[in-house]
Amino acid sequence: MRPAGADRASRALAAALGERRVLVVCGSGGVGKTTTAAALALQAALEGRQVLVCTIDPARRLATSLGLASLEGRPRRLDLSRVAPRAAGALWAMTLDTRRTFDALVEKHASSEAARRRILDNRFYQQVSSALAGSHEYMAMEKLLELSADERFDLVVLDTPPTRHALDFLEAPDRLMGFLDTSVLKWFLKPYFVAGRLTLKVATRTGAFALELADRFLGLQFLQDLSEFFLAFEGMYAGFKERAEKVHALLRGEDSGFVLVAGPARTTLDEARYFYRRLREKDMPFVGLVVNRVHPDPLAEAGPAPRRSAAIDPELARGLLRLMEDQARVARRERRGIARLEADVTEPLILVPELDADVHDLRGLAEIGEMVLGGGRVRARRGPRKAELHAPARR
Amino acid sequence: MILSGKGGTGKSVVGTALAVAASERGQRVLLVEIDAPLEASRYLGAAPVGTREAEVRPGLFAVNLDPTAVMDEYVRGVVRVEMLARRVLQSPVYRRFFAAAPGLPELMVLGKIMVLEEARASRFSSRPRYDLIVVDAPATGHGLSFLQVPLAASRAVPVGPIGHNARRILALLQDADRTALVIVAIPEEMAVVEAQELRRAAVDELGITPTALVLNQCHERRFTREQEAEILRLAAEGAPGRLARGVGLRSALAAARRHLRRRKLTRFYQARLRRALPLPTVSLPYLFDEDIGPASIERLARRLEAA
Repeated sequence: MRPAGADRASRALAAALGERRVLVVCGSGGVGKTTTAAALALQAALEGRQVLVCTIDPARRLATSLGLASLEGRPRRLDLSRVAPRAAGALWAMTLDTRRTFDALVEKHASSEAARRRILDNRFYQQVSSALAGSHEYMAMEKLLELSADERFDLVVLDTPPTRHALDFLEAPDRLMGFLDTSVLKWFLKPYFVAGRLTLKVATRTGAFALELADRFLGLQFLQDLSEFFLAFEGMYAGFKERAEKVHALLRGEDSGFVLVAGPARTTLDEARYFYRRLREKDMPFVGLVVNRVHPDPLAEAGPAPRRSAAIDPELARGLLRLMEDQARVARRERRGIARLEADVTEPLILVPELDADVHDLRGLAEIGEMVLGGGRVRARRGPRKAELHAPARR
Repeated sequence: MILSGKGGTGKSVVGTALAVAASERGQRVLLVEIDAPLEASRYLGAAPVGTREAEVRPGLFAVNLDPTAVMDEYVRGVVRVEMLARRVLQSPVYRRFFAAAPGLPELMVLGKIMVLEEARASRFSSRPRYDLIVVDAPATGHGLSFLQVPLAASRAVPVGPIGHNARRILALLQDADRTALVIVAIPEEMAVVEAQELRRAAVDELGITPTALVLNQCHERRFTREQEAEILRLAAEGAPGRLARGVGLRSALAAARRHLRRRKLTRFYQARLRRALPLPTVSLPYLFDEDIGPASIERLARRLEAA
């Protein structure tokens, strides 16, 4: 099952778990990303680190795999005594509450009570901050920054939203920076939007033209609301931008690492390949690629046909063979997809076999973690952070 | 018909099979994928589908709605004069605004789907251009926020074209005569939990009642009860010997026990979903094909047809 070099890959991943401060687990939906994130976090905790695993998924999947009814917006320490009575480290888990993170960000950066209220009461803000797709990514990076500075944890494992293109998350800081980068904002902060009542009598012809167009496809009321919204944030942009830049730097730093997770289906393997390329292009620290739920080929160890078959009912024997041929076809289908991925990824992949049962408790997570890490062992880094770390999986 | 469910449940395969089944019944069908140009066409063995509707089989059209392209098309439709439109499209303000505004891409895509739903066969015809539009929605988590966007937008911007359109989209989604929300799940803990969560949120938060549940990748019975008992007995005995193809009986029995466990899980979750989600449910089989291609889709389509 384990391809050549898998042990090296597992060791590199184990080393990252022992040393880095932030691990971002990415991949498309339904590949066991949350489970893998939780399993890796648990391994690091069992080996002595103070670990927080944070999921952003609104469907509360991590809660299920941790055997909890629901996870709160605050880190909650898990009881590891049943899996490891003498666990050296500790594990916290939480889900990201997008709205609360946004509110906290506003509280922190607002210049005055009045400014704070103006934002929190803004209708546009109320929708944007909780409901809209896209906010999750922004707030995930905000939370990551906050958690990575939290003294209680020496490793934060971040499970990313199940975006079809998991890249949305990576690109969130850049998008926000692009947006806060003057031109767009300046346009919205132009006086004609804000003088109480909106007027089309603007000074320049270009301005009038732009406004007329905007009215036609967005509506002036919307622009005015938006403009008020942006104005309410005035004075906070420098703070936001600084945060976005910090996340940008944090994710590229040597204390961070990205773990890609894929499933054996062709679509998710293709996405992993694409994601891997983008990580490399963006110079993000890659630490491993895990392919979950790979089916074994039951015919792999078939020998020569026997002169006399085992003495069982021939009908049953035919049924068994048909089943094995079916399973072998699935294994071949998956192997082809994996081979395509291997051709593109310089590091060996970590293949994790399909399990017989669903994982939804800590014990199951511990088993998965051991399977992912294989021969690799987490050696927890303790004590003060060292400026220089070796980066095992980087070329 | 909007298909929603956890990632990895095979929504694209199910959506493609549903579209094929409907088109074989003589309906004009449009299969809509969102920002995923390859999947449906790959399953159908057709060339990759672009941002324009293309006929991939008789009566079956497919389109890939890329939010940026949809937004650009919208701007062109509003501005009409190509030169002016280009000025808007090329402006960095527009590009950055569109990239950063949460929810705007989703709203644009849903707006486009509404336009397609309202489209007539020709200018003088009252016949709809498509009898059925199958939308492969993004995975839940995000799939739900995808469907939440019109509601959020109509609340955030009550007046003006955005609010107006958001309300129209919401009305379309909530209209049980025009829209059917189909939940796709597989017999696994997380997918089943998400299916339940999706139904709750759709009903409570969005006012949309799901129409049906498709339970995909079900492991079906392949052995009789007597054979199953025999498998367990032989496995417990550790029966030696080889089968016809040189396969060890022991590994055959291990594979069979794996199958029986999967089969048990399938039945367990089928029962649980029956209790938890009072919806018409169709179970589709796990595909053992070496390639998920047109033949696999045909088989699923026939199963859907039979249901």
